[in-house]
Amino acid sequence: MPANRIVPLVAREGLRGPYWLLTFRHPEIARDARAGQFVMIKAGTSAEPPLRRPFSIMATDPGAETFTLFVKEVGPGSRALGRLAPGEVAQCLGPLGRPFSTPPAGTEALLVAGGYGVAPFRLFAEELKRSGGRGRLFYGGRTSDDLPLLEHLGGTSTPLVPATEDGSVGHHGQVTAPLEEWLDSGAGPARLYACGPEAMLHAVARVAEARGLAAEVSLDPWMGCGIGTCLGCVVKVQNTDETRASYRCACTEGPVFDAARVRWPGEEVSRARRERAGFMA
Amino acid sequence: MNLAVEIAGLRFKNPLIAASGTFGYGVEYEDVLDLSRLGGIVSKGLYMEPRDGNPTPRITETPSGLLNAIGLQGIGIRAFVRDVLPRIARYDTVHLVNICGDTVEEYAEVARVCDGAEGIAGIEVNISCPNVKKGGLAFGGDPRMTHEVVAAVRKVTRRPVIPKLSPNVADIAVLARAAEEAGADALSCINTLLGLAVDVETRRPKLAFGTGGLSGPAIRPVAVRMAWQAARAVKIPVIGIGGISSASDALEFLIAGCPAVQIGTANFVDPGVHERILADLATWLEQHGLDDIGAVVGTLEYPGLPGPCGTEVCP
Ligand SMILES: Cc1cc2nc3c(=O)[nH]c(=O)nc-3n(C[C@H](O)[C@H](O)[C@H](O)COP(=O)(O)OP(=O)(O)OC[C@H]3O[C@@H](n4cnc5c(N)ncnc54)[C@H](O)[C@@H]3O)c2cc1C
Ligand SMILES: Cc1cc2nc3c(=O)[nH]c(=O)nc-3n(C[C@H](O)[C@H](O)[C@H](O)COP(=O)(O)O)c2cc1C
Ligand code: FES
Repeated sequence: MPANRIVPLVAREGLRGPYWLLTFRHPEIARDARAGQFVMIKAGTSAEPPLRRPFSIMATDPGAETFTLFVKEVGPGSRALGRLAPGEVAQCLGPLGRPFSTPPAGTEALLVAGGYGVAPFRLFAEELKRSGGRGRLFYGGRTSDDLPLLEHLGGTSTPLVPATEDGSVGHHGQVTAPLEEWLDSGAGPARLYACGPEAMLHAVARVAEARGLAAEVSLDPWMGCGIGTCLGCVVKVQNTDETRASYRCACTEGPVFDAARVRWPGEEVSRARRERAGFMA
Repeated sequence: MNLAVEIAGLRFKNPLIAASGTFGYGVEYEDVLDLSRLGGIVSKGLYMEPRDGNPTPRITETPSGLLNAIGLQGIGIRAFVRDVLPRIARYDTVHLVNICGDTVEEYAEVARVCDGAEGIAGIEVNISCPNVKKGGLAFGGDPRMTHEVVAAVRKVTRRPVIPKLSPNVADIAVLARAAEEAGADALSCINTLLGLAVDVETRRPKLAFGTGGLSGPAIRPVAVRMAWQAARAVKIPVIGIGGISSASDALEFLIAGCPAVQIGTANFVDPGVHERILADLATWLEQHGLDDIGAVVGTLEYPGLPGPCGTEVCP
């Protein structure tokens, strides 16, 4: 796990609404970060708010030694980041957490994003392009205002399928609808990767289960430290061989988990356990 | 420049100790910093058996503070001794274990395991966790129970016994004396302050457990006051804890009478906090023409009380 790093902001771009693209310089983070990993970051050195905040690494440029975050302003921590001027610094720990797995050869990576959960998939798409893998990005939100990154997702080999609940852009409806359509259309072997609100992640997990597909979800619990010591970020996980679910740190064992291991709210046992126990519906 | 201090027969190379529950079991920080630079490390609270802890959400931020109700999730003392201790014992620092129990007997049982384990320098007795339904505060809030738990632990170990006191009491001096009489070698003051944060939209507590323990800069004045009161009430050393994130914060406790301090929540904010405070402490001593940290301890000149200069009220 990496040491504390002081990272200067090198570029900032305001997007529609409360969204920012913030680019920082740090050679190791730029070189080492994998899609799904995050940083714990705090603007400047001010005492308030006390804790750092987790943000997914959205893009990297190892040549320029930079990495980019996609930040939605929702409170004091994200607001302070949005106010940083180029040349000013942030305190940063990272890259942290377990990344998404590389899709097996010949498998299509179906990326499902909701809201700011799109952030890791820009980097994922870059990785797919480098490795020659195939992918498709389903990007959903309530309205077009929730998809401020639409114009910034080009330049990769991954086709983009937007969806909005109000129909203002792309598919009319929830993002799992075009996903299921694609799966119904006779796509080949696929693996699902999802990041976004919990309800969406759960929905993707159900799609995966119904079709016997593997799925990885990036969870976003409140995080205090990012390095496995505060035990504030835990999520309930249950492996095939475990009779009961137990709390695991999302910051160190996640944030990406096998959806089958997650014990979702309202469910008695995880999919892994259900399948093992043989009482699958 | 001497930064080393001796407490309960243990030599700490500097007065900065990582507080229980904010430094994992130590191993989590192995690659981040040189653990042997720390004065000491206190483990996360440990029972006999592994514990799940409380449901989530477990932490929420408050002004200059952190409210937590982790509920002592942990691997249990045996797994600690078997799997973790060998890994961290090779770092030259003082390894303390924070012990918990649902019953007096359990405290003694955990202490006995610690006593038999090579590498554990001392035992911090957590009678002050506000986030569990049994044990914890139920013991630390009552001088008779405090006496009983500390005496039971005392009986089964030769290692230093350091009860950790709760701030959620009317008069900490009473609890401090009870612990001292029961055979404590030192005290840790304080644990977190009982708090409640409300989500105004759902009208429910922000933490799933309900109440939580407040830590961080927000509690420092309360912590300094209580550590000072405890230090005045007993002859054994008091380790100061609460809201420390700078050298000057640490110095407040030292001046108030604590030979050493623990750093908690600040570890989450800045994993390099020990190193920074250590450097600033040395600078401060130098600026004040001192070459021994011990010269600062207990030098508070409090109005109306005998000062260190020996006069009734210091000039
Ligand atoms: C692994 C991970 C990756 C993340 N990646 C991104 C990203 O790429 N872009 C981005 O904009 N945000 C991301 N987030 C969420 C981001 O961390 C929070 O929005 C941020 O911490 C809010 O801090 P704040 O001080 O601005 O607001 P706060 O005042 O702390 O929070 C404002 C509101 O948001 C809620 N909230 C805070 N943190 C979270 C959270 N983690 N999940 C859900 N609700 C929360 C609070 O309860 C509150 O109602 C990520 C979170 C995690 C755990
Ligand atoms: C997340 C968290 C977990 C904690 N766990 C423990 C614990 O297991 N045992 C214990 O005695 N104190 C525990 N504490 C209390 C701290 O050790 C310390 O007494 C308190 O946080 C005040 O110091 P601080 O303001 O520097 O954090 C915990 C505190 C926090 C914030
Ligand atoms: S965020 Fe602190 S343990 Fe995961």
